[in-house]
Amino acid sequence: MTVESIPTAVSRQDELYQEAADSYGAALERLARGYEADPDRRRDLVQEIHLALWQSFGGFDARCSLRTWVYRVAHNVAASHVIHEHRMNSRTLVGLEVLETLPTGNDGERVADQHHALEKLLKLIQQLNPLDRQVILSYLEDLDAASIGEITGISPGNVATKIHRIKNVLAHRFHEGGSHGK
Amino acid sequence: MASEAGDNAKNLWQNQPVEPAQISLAELHEKAQKLERRVRRRNLREYAAGAIAIAGYGYYIWKFPTPIIRLGCVLVIAGVLFVVYMLHKRGHARAVPAEMAFRSSLDFYRHELERQRDLLRSVWTWYLLPFVPGLIIFGLGLFLRTMKQPNAPAHARLIVISFSLTAAFVALVFIVIGKLNQRGARKLQRKIDALDSLEKES
Repeated sequence: MTVESIPTAVSRQDELYQEAADSYGAALERLARGYEADPDRRRDLVQEIHLALWQSFGGFDARCSLRTWVYRVAHNVAASHVIHEHRMNSRTLVGLEVLETLPTGNDGERVADQHHALEKLLKLIQQLNPLDRQVILSYLEDLDAASIGEITGISPGNVATKIHRIKNVLAHRFHEGGSHGK
Repeated sequence: MASEAGDNAKNLWQNQPVEPAQISLAELHEKAQKLERRVRRRNLREYAAGAIAIAGYGYYIWKFPTPIIRLGCVLVIAGVLFVVYMLHKRGHARAVPAEMAFRSSLDFYRHELERQRDLLRSVWTWYLLPFVPGLIIFGLGLFLRTMKQPNAPAHARLIVISFSLTAAFVALVFIVIGKLNQRGARKLQRKIDALDSLEKES
């Protein structure tokens, strides 16, 4: 079967995918950055997420919002990627509660330029286990606790605790405040 | 201070320069078909490996007239068929993309960890054990046949040592594979336990 012969049967699936890619393309790119540091593997991960999204829309039943659907699929594909990579290289991943107690080392240095600050933030995210990574990435995308709870399955109370920890970690690692974000 | 750091980090995160991937629908359709082809090829490879093993032991059935060796070969072939069936079954048990959207991350993550834990934990029962009876009987048959050779009594000790060493080596390989998988399963179980305690807190 040729590629050109498919579209009419799956047009709804294509439309949904197109809408999701247009609305969340940049967010998906950022999400992949949080899961994979290597640029080549990250490109593969982004493509894997897009493929899974397109395939998933074949079964879209509007039981949740498009945003929740997109983030769930994307995070779950990325979590599978992390589990697989973790088994290959045995890297230790930690939870937020551990990260909160770890010494910051020279991380406390003044972070003046945005690029350096972003690198530090990515390094911090990539140390986290998949679930906590999902929470921090959703938080950074400005999703509220209820939405994060809906995507991750963690209760809103627990999400609030995790967000509190995230803020503490960020405050300790980027203690000079506004300089990096502006 | 903590809230300000959070807001700054959000600002930094959302304003990072990104180029969204430009993947056309035609590319996606093609990728989906490629993926299906890859799965089909993987299945074919598994069936081909099984067919080669079956052909090999089938040849032994024809070559060795001894009933005990033949019985060993039949059991190994049965083991191969069972393993190929299990590989086929497990290949179909993977999560489909729409399922990823129905499950929350916590649920999906646990499901994936459990799936991998069960796979590792059960390696002995579905991947190694099916070969054990056949290989033991096949080895025993070969040993008895060798001992019946006219010049065997003169080298009996050497024959016993060679067969014992071979058997011990095969057993060691099986045990090491089993133990490594058990260790991997225990690691995954600790992660599942951590998720369980998270859920209890929820």
